Amino acid sequence: MTRARLAGAVAAAAILLAWPLVVPGYFVFLATLVLVNGIVALGLNLLSGYTNQLSFGHAGFFAIGGYATALLTIHAGALPVPVTLLGAGLATALVGLALGIPCLRLEGLYLAMATLAFGFVVVEAILHLDWLTRGNDGLRVPVARLGPLAFSTEASRYYLVVVVTVLMVAGAVNLVRTRTGRAFLAIRESEVAAQTSGVNVAAFKTAAFVVSAFYTGVAGGLFAFVVGYLSPDAFDVFLSVDFLVMIIVGGLGSVGGSLIGAAIVTVLHDSLAAFQNYRPLIFGGIMVAAMLFMPGGVASTARAWRRR
Amino acid sequence: MTTAALIHVLVSGLATGSIYGLVGLSLVIVYNATRTVNFAQGEMFVVSTFVAWSAARAGWPLPLAFLAAVVAAAVLALVIERAIIRRSIAATHWDVLIITLGLSLILRALAGIVWSHDDFPFPSYFGNRPIAIGPARVVPVSLGIIGASVVLMALLGALFRFTRAGRAMRAVAQNQTAAWLMGISVPRVFSAAWILASVVGAVAGLLIAPVVFLSTKMGLLVINGFIAAVLGGFGSMPGVVVGGMLLGVIENLAPLYLPTGIRYSVPFILLIAILVVRPGGLAGRVHRRKV
Repeated sequence: MTRARLAGAVAAAAILLAWPLVVPGYFVFLATLVLVNGIVALGLNLLSGYTNQLSFGHAGFFAIGGYATALLTIHAGALPVPVTLLGAGLATALVGLALGIPCLRLEGLYLAMATLAFGFVVVEAILHLDWLTRGNDGLRVPVARLGPLAFSTEASRYYLVVVVTVLMVAGAVNLVRTRTGRAFLAIRESEVAAQTSGVNVAAFKTAAFVVSAFYTGVAGGLFAFVVGYLSPDAFDVFLSVDFLVMIIVGGLGSVGGSLIGAAIVTVLHDSLAAFQNYRPLIFGGIMVAAMLFMPGGVASTARAWRRR
Repeated sequence: MTTAALIHVLVSGLATGSIYGLVGLSLVIVYNATRTVNFAQGEMFVVSTFVAWSAARAGWPLPLAFLAAVVAAAVLALVIERAIIRRSIAATHWDVLIITLGLSLILRALAGIVWSHDDFPFPSYFGNRPIAIGPARVVPVSLGIIGASVVLMALLGALFRFTRAGRAMRAVAQNQTAAWLMGISVPRVFSAAWILASVVGAVAGLLIAPVVFLSTKMGLLVINGFIAAVLGGFGSMPGVVVGGMLLGVIENLAPLYLPTGIRYSVPFILLIAILVVRPGGLAGRVHRRKV
């Protein structure tokens, strides 16, 4: 690591840790949401940006992770948070496996449509399994606990999310540099070429689905703790679109880009809260403009600038 | 269930099915010409149907209001195709998919700002009081929708078969380069396909609006249109029509035999099942890719 990068990392860590001490509570909440969405964007990017499998249904995975966490906390409150989150992530990953295998036969548009349908089915399922999920009434999520520690303040939840985010980012960074990550990239560039070079395309495409679902499920679990209340209408198709906008703006196939995209979209979403009617207008405009003028997202534009 | 009730369910299923068929057709027309799917199709017909609503409220006679909607649909398609889609002609389908998704958000928001997101009653030619045909009772509006859709589908069939423009579109669908070499202006065909699809979508919007109320939510019909297209094997026009009818009937029959909670999931479960089991559509041949 060069000295400049080390200094950058130290500064970033310092800001990340000191954040709740210097800003008002609301911005702590906002930063927490940014990180939660960042984990989703990472997971979605591993699928869409790295193996070129477009998903329009990640809100479905997010909802499954959230509800799994809420139900685990309600019915097994003694479990420590890491176990709950891991359980939610694994449950979501299992669903990802179940969806990923049949979806191997699909590509591009068809995959987008199948995942879109998946998102709708999840919301319908939540609505109609009301003995479990309380349907439209919504589900109150108890406070997260780790032994004697209760994450009941905004700042404590922020630190919980920071720790998980750091772990997830480290995982993603390492994953993309391993054999698996290279295989993902090879699949993105050309499935045929990857197959002829000995990459087991089916296995790695499924793996990407599972990993992506795991990331999104864990993020959904954190989301449940952060907002404290879940209802099915929070997980509609427009949330899936928001996730897509994050990785499009941030940059497909970039870990840093995922986080930047999540930050941009989350903050924009929040600051436009008073202009409900104009929000989709602006988000749609961003999508079109990003595709026309900046197809690689912020990440690749920044890279191009640095090269000058 | 009695025969009369069954007929009633079948007829209303066929009516919604013909709407799905029309929306599916508009998707397939663009897909065949440009190999991309227009996610904004739903919002485009929402906008044009709202134009008819505004015109009718301003006191225009109904036929004139409908004509205004069709013209609006054509102009909207032309503007979008020329200003945005054509700029990304060299982009991957992925990119165009995202662009049309962005467009659908924009159009939905604009429609919401201009006309609000409320539900509006929409004037119709066809009555809503059931009439008796033999033992069965059917609603005239269902028959009207089916009749109008079939006429439009026949017109489309004739257009593709007998006119130069239709033949050009079919040529481009088969082989773009060859069509280009034969002197067909491919960009012009792209524009024509967008306009034609938008007009077909507008007619679907005008037909369904009296039944479901006019609102920006109507744009979500594009998903059912897509399912219809997949059922019929994406690309085949008669296939889409059959797929739409089938989807409409299944959707109307399902609640009679399945628990109520599943009703709204039926189209989506059907879509996933079809994609997984027969990606080429019910009657379709699977196009194996050679490498």
